[in-house]
Amino acid sequence: MKCNFNHVKIKGIKTVIPEHYIDIADELQYFENNPKKLARAQKMIGYGRRYIADEMTTVTDLAVDAAEKLLREMNINREDIDLLIFVNQKPDFKEPNDACVAHGKLNLKKTCFALDINSGCTGYIQGLITAHALMSTEAFDTCLLLAGDLCGRMNDQKNRKTAPVFGDAASATILKYSADEIKSAFVMGTDGKGYDKIIYPFGGTHLPFDKESFDMTVFDEQGNYWNNKYGIMKGEDVFKFTMDVAPQLIIDTMKVANWTASDVDLFAIHQANKQIIENIVAKAGIPVEKAPADVFSKYANNSTNSVVTVLSDQTKTLNKVILCAFGVGLTWGGAALDLSGCYNGGISTFIPPNDKLTKEEQINYWIKYFKGE
Amino acid sequence: MTRDEFLNEMVEVLQTEDDISFDTVLADLDEWDSLSVMATMAFLDKSFGVKTEMKDYKMMKTIGDIAAKAGL
Repeated sequence: MKCNFNHVKIKGIKTVIPEHYIDIADELQYFENNPKKLARAQKMIGYGRRYIADEMTTVTDLAVDAAEKLLREMNINREDIDLLIFVNQKPDFKEPNDACVAHGKLNLKKTCFALDINSGCTGYIQGLITAHALMSTEAFDTCLLLAGDLCGRMNDQKNRKTAPVFGDAASATILKYSADEIKSAFVMGTDGKGYDKIIYPFGGTHLPFDKESFDMTVFDEQGNYWNNKYGIMKGEDVFKFTMDVAPQLIIDTMKVANWTASDVDLFAIHQANKQIIENIVAKAGIPVEKAPADVFSKYANNSTNSVVTVLSDQTKTLNKVILCAFGVGLTWGGAALDLSGCYNGGISTFIPPNDKLTKEEQINYWIKYFKGE
Repeated sequence: MTRDEFLNEMVEVLQTEDDISFDTVLADLDEWDSLSVMATMAFLDKSFGVKTEMKDYKMMKTIGDIAAKAGL
């Protein structure tokens, strides 16, 4: 699917990351204590730092913090927000959705339409196109798009197929309806036959956790570890899928926008890992200097927030930007955006509040809540 | 790409310090791991337009088998 929009302006973007990080240089034990093996993995994959939220911090905490900071820095009145979209796939609760939780925490008005989109790496672009489509009806003035994921926190650091790849981040984006013409273009795709290539198979209605399945641990032939609280990623299959769709996605998105690579200031490619980004760039034939892969080394793969982290990490002024993301689903999305005049709030650190309830206090809270005490 | 150039490229792709030839057995290389398989998949795709899958690599025994896949 491809489409163009003419009246939606991205006004500001802000990313927030947790305080705590793990550096691959401190994980020599996972490379047979061999510095050469560690250095080779750093060079090939780009492993570096990944920021991990503490166990009491949710994706909504990060996203709401990003929104509060963005609203303050841009001096935006929260009463103007009439559309809230929250894209993530590690929700605070089974229900209600996080858009409602965030709506309450942000004290948004009751006439604001709030909805969730459950998605990972392509999620930000899915959120953007949804915002553009809804706002093009002229029914909305201001949209707050929240995006984020906790693939770092909701992972087992012993699972070396996934743990070193992922870090946590969330963001807030403000979009405004514009009577003046602002062009944007999107290309989207889905291959649901690959639904199991990146999957958390347990904990849903297919296999709810019970006594038989809770905390199950298995090893594959190579000794890779998996606990069923967490996800499985078929890395080689995902790599092949990526090489099949992502380079063409970039070319198609430029075509729909009627741009050439020389028009584009930045190609913000999903930071799956350095090896993947470099191969996409080579195959798409776009300039390496316009398609950073070092954001992966600084912040790891932030899933839903990955392309936003790339935007937030830029210090130069951006006008025409191509976003390219792909992943869980399997899904892919490209966006051609005019970010001229867009406020870039950069990347800030989330500091957990001192009065946050402990896990035990939260459990007791819900027991009392049920009892009506 | 000549066969000699292919060998030089494979040293880069695998990030190996060993001398390799077309007879080098993949299983004997320390570096023949999932990182190398993915790097090889990308190399064959972008340099030769040849798409490969994991199952192809289970059949390959030597560097020469990869070269054959590339049509060299």
